[in-house]
Order: sequence, then structure tokens, then C-alpha cells
Amino acid sequence: MAISAKDVDQFLPLSLPVFHMLLSLSEGERHGYALKREILRRTDKRINLGSGALYGAINKMLEQGLIVESDERPDPHLDDERRRYYRITTLGLRVARAEIARLRALVQLAEVRLGIPDPV
Amino acid sequence: MDVTKLYRRLLRLYPASFRQEYEGAMDRQFRDEQSDAKGWKEKVALWLHALGDVATSAPRELARELSQDLRFALRVYCRRPVSAVIAIGTLALAVGASTGVFSVTSALLLRSLPFGDAPRLVELRFSPFSAGNGRAGFRNWKNHTSYLEDAATFSTSEMNLNSGRDALRVRVTETSANLFSLLEVQPYRGRTFTPEEDQPGQNHVVVISHRLWQQAYGGNVSVIGSVAHLDGAALTIIGVAPSRFDYPGNVDIWVPTVFDFEVIPKHGAFLWETVGRLRAGITMHQARQEFKADVARVDPKSLQPNSTSIPDLVGLGNQLSSQIRTSVLILFSVVLLVLSTASANVAQLLLSRTAERHQELALRSALGASRSRLIQQLTVEATALTLSGAAIGMVVALLVARVASAVMPAQLATQNYTLLDWHVLCFAIALALIAGLVFGIMPSWLIGRIQPSTQVVRVQAGSSEPVTARFRSVLISLQVAFTLTLLVSSFTIGSAFLRLIHTDLGFQPAKAVMLKVSLEGAKYQGEGAKWQYYSALKDRLQSLPGVRAVGAVNYLPLSKNVLMAGTIQVESGRKVSGVVLNGSMPGYFKAVGSRLISGNDFGFDLSKSPEPPVIVNEAFARESGLGNGIVGRRIVSPWTPRPYLVTGLVTTARMAGPEYEGGPQAYWPVEEEPPSALTFVASVSGDPRNYLTRCRDAVVSLDRSVPIYDVKTLNQSLDETMERPRFYTASVLFLAVLALLIAVAGVYSTCSRAITQREHELGVRIALGASIQQIRGMILRQGAVPVVFGILAGIAGAAGCGLIVRHLFVGINASDMTAIIIPSLFLLLIVIGTAWSATTRVLAIDPIEAIRAEH
Repeated sequence: MAISAKDVDQFLPLSLPVFHMLLSLSEGERHGYALKREILRRTDKRINLGSGALYGAINKMLEQGLIVESDERPDPHLDDERRRYYRITTLGLRVARAEIARLRALVQLAEVRLGIPDPV
Repeated sequence: MDVTKLYRRLLRLYPASFRQEYEGAMDRQFRDEQSDAKGWKEKVALWLHALGDVATSAPRELARELSQDLRFALRVYCRRPVSAVIAIGTLALAVGASTGVFSVTSALLLRSLPFGDAPRLVELRFSPFSAGNGRAGFRNWKNHTSYLEDAATFSTSEMNLNSGRDALRVRVTETSANLFSLLEVQPYRGRTFTPEEDQPGQNHVVVISHRLWQQAYGGNVSVIGSVAHLDGAALTIIGVAPSRFDYPGNVDIWVPTVFDFEVIPKHGAFLWETVGRLRAGITMHQARQEFKADVARVDPKSLQPNSTSIPDLVGLGNQLSSQIRTSVLILFSVVLLVLSTASANVAQLLLSRTAERHQELALRSALGASRSRLIQQLTVEATALTLSGAAIGMVVALLVARVASAVMPAQLATQNYTLLDWHVLCFAIALALIAGLVFGIMPSWLIGRIQPSTQVVRVQAGSSEPVTARFRSVLISLQVAFTLTLLVSSFTIGSAFLRLIHTDLGFQPAKAVMLKVSLEGAKYQGEGAKWQYYSALKDRLQSLPGVRAVGAVNYLPLSKNVLMAGTIQVESGRKVSGVVLNGSMPGYFKAVGSRLISGNDFGFDLSKSPEPPVIVNEAFARESGLGNGIVGRRIVSPWTPRPYLVTGLVTTARMAGPEYEGGPQAYWPVEEEPPSALTFVASVSGDPRNYLTRCRDAVVSLDRSVPIYDVKTLNQSLDETMERPRFYTASVLFLAVLALLIAVAGVYSTCSRAITQREHELGVRIALGASIQQIRGMILRQGAVPVVFGILAGIAGAAGCGLIVRHLFVGINASDMTAIIIPSLFLLLIVIGTAWSATTRVLAIDPIEAIRAEH
């Protein structure tokens, strides 16, 4: 089924943790704890998701169809098979891209008004 | 405790479905993090972070899941709207009625009085100081009591207030100067009395109520310092009491003149009331002992058990609610009975529905829904139902509270019955939530463990039947029992009420109009002037077209007066005590419709009679031992040494309404000593309501400076007296009918359900040759068992309830067997009729279809 721009727009703006989760999943399948650690690393420990917040967000994204639970395991030797892995959907990718476009537009607008700041 | 176990416990805060999905992952993640954390600092930080996470995310997930469950519940109820509407309606009525009655209970018994340190305030049901010793005597007594820190004494009566414009009739409390300081009440404007302001010469000051300030003075601050005339006495307004303060009840003016008999002349009965503040640290019990010792010193006779009023010391809160507390508690228990009946019905309804949805629930269970997930869903459905019922019930509650305020008002304005009281709101919400929880959990418990099984596609509808059927029988028994208890109570109360209505009052209220005038503070001073005014008024009323007879009297029946009574000695030497001494104008007996049994009414010119005349009533004649022969005899009153000649004998009027027997009365001509206020009565032809304006105009046209009040028909007066009995009768009857309807609906649905469930079995029986009538009889017999148990329990309940309801009003005979037998038979017939009509379903059973459906 074709995904319209309207379908995508209803998810925007994304919250920062959700955006990071989608970014991580766009690189490959992850389980919950891996997502958490990756976000922690990327944000220099600034976003530390508790498990309630993490699985709450996962639960919501599953319902919204941004991600799905994956049946495949990366390598049974490497990982505990009881862990659940998640995979980004086409809709999830479209939403992440739309968020990037939204952020870019925002940054461009800010640059025009305020100029590009020197790195601190 | 193992910390990971603790964390697992924390996870129980999440809703069922979320937990089922992620509990394992969250638990594992926490353990991983726990083992990754190095040193106690990191471990503490991890815990703090986890706690914060649970605190923020658990409520969010709960709200999300609840809203999903609610949407699902809405869909479920929309599929079967009729039963949902019945359940919500039943709950609305029951929860509403109980919340309404609870608002009264809460106002009287739970809400604290708006006085400083109110629990230490007490009312003395006897004043252990000699009132004759005046201010000095009172102060001396109060300064030397061992149990009171301070005390105030007061007396309340009605007076004429002339504030420059119209004359008003207001309730005035004459008090010692310290009433406000004792209650720790601060004025809204101005000041209250100084301690010395109850001394003669300094006491020409008044505090007015906030209500009077608004209504008569338009809330004008400049009123402070102005002069108000109270029964003719000029007094300076010094302050306005706080809003809603009207202690000791519906009072608009406070004057520090309780010890001064000159400033405002006292007439009629003057009752001293005393309120005190207990010393710090003294218990109620100790205080009561010391009070009794105090009374024993002053008046030992009053403590004897046969004394008319036993001296006592009671908490002010109890004293203020004593009039209606019993009735309110009785009504509250009755209303809880109805609530129980309603709950039993809703429980049955939900039980049947859950049984019907067995297949759906089993399917969901097979698809992975946990047991707690299903219980949560059922509980949310039930709670949504009960909360909607309670929300609609608030309208019913509002109505009940309104009616209650009109019929049995609280003594103080601050004790008004409102739903906006946290006790009341908590009560309603708690009721709805508890009911929702019970209704939600109970069916899931009864249905048993819902297991995904191979039977999913075709679940036996009656698989858990024995338990639910037993439970349903118990519910039916309970319902029948509660309903019978209420029916018997309403029958008992209703027949007492009918007896009251048909009581001979000793006068005829149907065709009479009454009105009161007061000459207090008016220009008519002196006996001659007063008599002239009264005679002129009588003539003026008499001349109105349609008026048949006019008379006047000191105390009119049904007027809620404080009556003066004394002991009168009859010629024979016998003494008649408790005689109400009443003054009447010629024509009174004819106007009020009291029959003269023998002798004559008073004549207009007393100088013509050789001896001062007096008319007595039958009760007096009976107690004097002379019967009808009392006419022509002489009696002596305690106040005048001269004997009076009995010139007439009239029927006994029930002064306080049909509930109470009329006592002995002696009437003498008011002309002898015209009082400053009289009540006029006119008997009229046609509807007496048409005469109210005409009579008022007649009084105003004579002299507009004389205040006229209580202009109404005697029937209105009677209605006011009967208001409480009528309210109790109507409410208990209403509740009984409600309970009956609920029970009928319950019995009907149970019977129909039993037939639907046994369709196969019944089909087989019919196929094997059983007649329809035999089948119906069998179902009826089986259904009759819980009903009979219910009726037996109901009879026991009714006997217990009878002991309670007889306190509602006088004349309720709780030991009347017919009051138990008739409602029991009535209920039995109704229930059998209902069950029989429900069994018509049997006619629709096609034996072949029923058997085929099973294979």
C-alpha cells in the first residue's frame, strides 16, 4: 500500500529518543538493550533511556508500524535467542527521513536568521 | 532482599499487557546493567535512575492501556446497549440516592462546626445557675465551675425589627456578652460585644447576621453605627457576623440583653440555654460527672429518673444534629439496602455477560492474553459502567439533597447539605470504584481459569455453570430478602401515615386562613389600645365577602409555638397539671372549627358576666374527673387568686399536629389582658388560598406599621407539620418500589438465562414426551428455592428493620403481623408471576433443533 505524505506527517515531530532509535535501527536490527547502549554512546551519555521509557517507546513504535519484531537472529552463537530484535519498516524509514528534512529546514532557517555559529 | 527481585516487584506497577510483553526484557536489561555497574556509587545511580524511570513511564503506559480498554469497553457496551443502559440506570439511582442521603449524614455528623476548637464546645441541657440572680449570679457560677473554661447563656425568640423602612419579623438571640468570644467567631465587619456590654445601660447594641445585612441593609458598610428598633427598643448596630453564621439556628440578630428585662420587654416563655467550652484536658465523661454533681447541688429533684427532662451535658455537634440524626441514619441504612439490591442485579448482569463472552475470552486467552490482562479488561469495563452510573447519579444525589434541605433542614446554615464536600465526593467515587472492582474481578473469579484449549472454537456455554448458578441463586435470595425488608418497612410506614392523615385533629383546617400580627413596638400600647386594634381588625376581616367566622388566639394549633403550661385547681380540689393556658377572642372556636360540646363561647362584653369566664377542652374535663359536668364549675389558676367560671367545653385540638395527642387546655378571654401578638383565623367559603391576599390587604389597610406574618391557609400549616412523615413515607415507598423493580428485572433475567442455557436438556425432555406445562413447572420449582430462602431472610430482616423505622415518626406500629404477611405474599406473587412469564421462552424451544445443535 502506498504511503502518503499525510501518513508520514502525522508522526512528526519525533521525540529525540525515538529519532535516535530509528537512526540506529536503520543501520540494522537491534534488541532493546543494544539500542539503549548505542544511543548512550552516540549522545555522549546525554540520553540515558530507562527500560520503562525504552520499551514504552518500542511498544508505541510497534503499534504505529514504524518498526516490527524481527524473526531472524543475527547469529545464534553470538546472542541470547530469548532477546527480541526489532527492524525498521518502510514507513519507519520514511518518517525518519521526513524528520531529517524537517530538522534541516529548521537549521537552515536558523542559519539565515542567526548565522552559523563558531564551534565552541 | 535480592535487589533484582525488588526490581521485578516494581515492574508490577506496569499494566498487564505491557508487563506480559516486556517484563522479561526489562528484568534482564536491569540485571545486565546491574552487573555492568562498578562500585556502590554507580549502583546507587542505577537504582535512582530505574526508580525515576518507573515513576514516569508506568503511569504513561497505564493511561495508554486504560484508554485502549475503555475504547474496547465502549464497543462491547454498544453491541448490547439495553443491558448497559439498565445497569447504568440502576446504578445511577442507587448510587445517587445513597450519595444524596450521605450528604446529609456528612453535613450533620462528619463536617466540623465552624467554631474555634469545636470538639470542646458543649451544650448544657439544664442551666445549673439560678437565672433569677441575673448577670452576677451567672458570672459567679461560670467562674467557679470545675469543668468549664467559659460559658454563655442565651434565649431566642421572634421580634419586630424596624430599620427605618418596613417592619420585619426576625429571630433574635438575647445573650450574655461572651457568646462570640466563646465560639471564637470573628465579626465580618465592625466588632462583637465587649465583656461589659451585657450590663444594664451598656447593652443597647446589636450584631446582625450577614444575611440580614445583605437583605435588609443592602450590604452597606455605613449601617454600622446606625440605629435599629427591636420591638420598639432603639439599639446601635456594632457589627456584622460572618457569612452563614446563625447560631443557635436561623438567627439574624444578637443582643446582649439576656440579663436585662427592661430594654426589650420579655413576654411568653423565656427559655435559658447554656453553651460552654470544656477546660483543656478534661474528658467528656469527667465533665458530665462534674456537671451532674453541679446540678445536684442546685436542683437535686431534676436528676430523678421520672423528671420530664433529664439534665445532661452533650457535645455541641451532637446537640445540633440530635433532632434528625436518627432519621438520617435510618434513611441511610434503607438506602444502602437499595444499593445492595441494585449491586446484586448489576453483578448478575455482568456475570451473565461474562459467561456469554466466555468464547471471546477463551479466544483472547489462546491468542496470548494473560489472565491478569483479561481481569484488567473486565475490571475496566465494570468500572467504566459504575463510574458512568455514579456520574449520572450525581443528578439524583443533587435532587435528594435539595429535597432533604427543604424537608429536614439542618439547624445551622453551615450544616447545609452539599455534594461539594470532600467526604461526599470521596464517598461517591469510592462507591463506584469498589463496585467496579468487585464487579470486574468477581465474574473472572467465578468463570474460573480461562484456558486456551482445543475447545476454543466451540466452548460449552455452561462449562462453569454449577458455580455461577449457585452464586446467582445466592444473589436472587439476597435481592428478594432486601426487597421484602423494604416492602415491609414501607407498608408499616405507609399505614402509619394513612392513620395520621385520617386522625381527627379536633379542628377543621380545610376551610381556614391564618395570619399573625404583632403590636410590639407599634403605637398601640396599653390594654385598651391593643384591644381596640384587635377588635377593629376582627371586624375588618369579618366584613370581607365570603368570610364566615373570625376569631383570634394566643397559640394556634400547628404553629410550633413554645406553649406556657401550668397547674390548675378545680373546684373539687383536684389539680390538673400541664394545662396549656391560651387566650381566645370570641368567634375563635367557630372560625377554627372546634366544636363546642356544651356551654357557650365568650361574649363581647366581659363586664356583663358576673364572674370571669373560662372555656376548657375535653382533655381537661377528663383529667379533672368531672367530664362534661365541668361546665358551671369554678377553677383557680396559679397566677390569679380569683376563681374562673367554666362557661364552655370544646373538643381537644392536637396542637402539634396529628402525631401527638392534644393535652388539657384552658382558654380565657384575651380581652382581659390583650397580649402584644395574636394569631387570627378566618373560616371562609370556597378555596381558602383565594383569601390570603385579601386578608393581608385588610390588615395593611387598617395600619401598615403593624407587621403581619405567617399569612397562610391552615392546610398549608398542616402540610408543614406533615412534611417529615410524608417525606419518610414517600422516600421509603420510592426505595421499596425501586428495589421491587430491580428484583423483578433480576428474577426475569435469571429465569430466561437458565432456560437459554438448558435449551438442549429441555429439548431432550420435550422430545421424550414432557409437556410444556411440566417443563415450566419444573423451572419454576427450581427457581422458587432461592426465592423462598430470600423471603424467609427478608421476614427476619423486616422484623429487625421494624425496630429501627418506628423511630421515624409517632404512630408506626412495627409489631403488626399483617404488615409482614401482606408484603410477603405480594412479593411472592410478583416473583412467581415474573418467573412464569419468563418461562414462556420454553414455548420457543424446538426439540429437534435443540438436539441437533449439540452435535
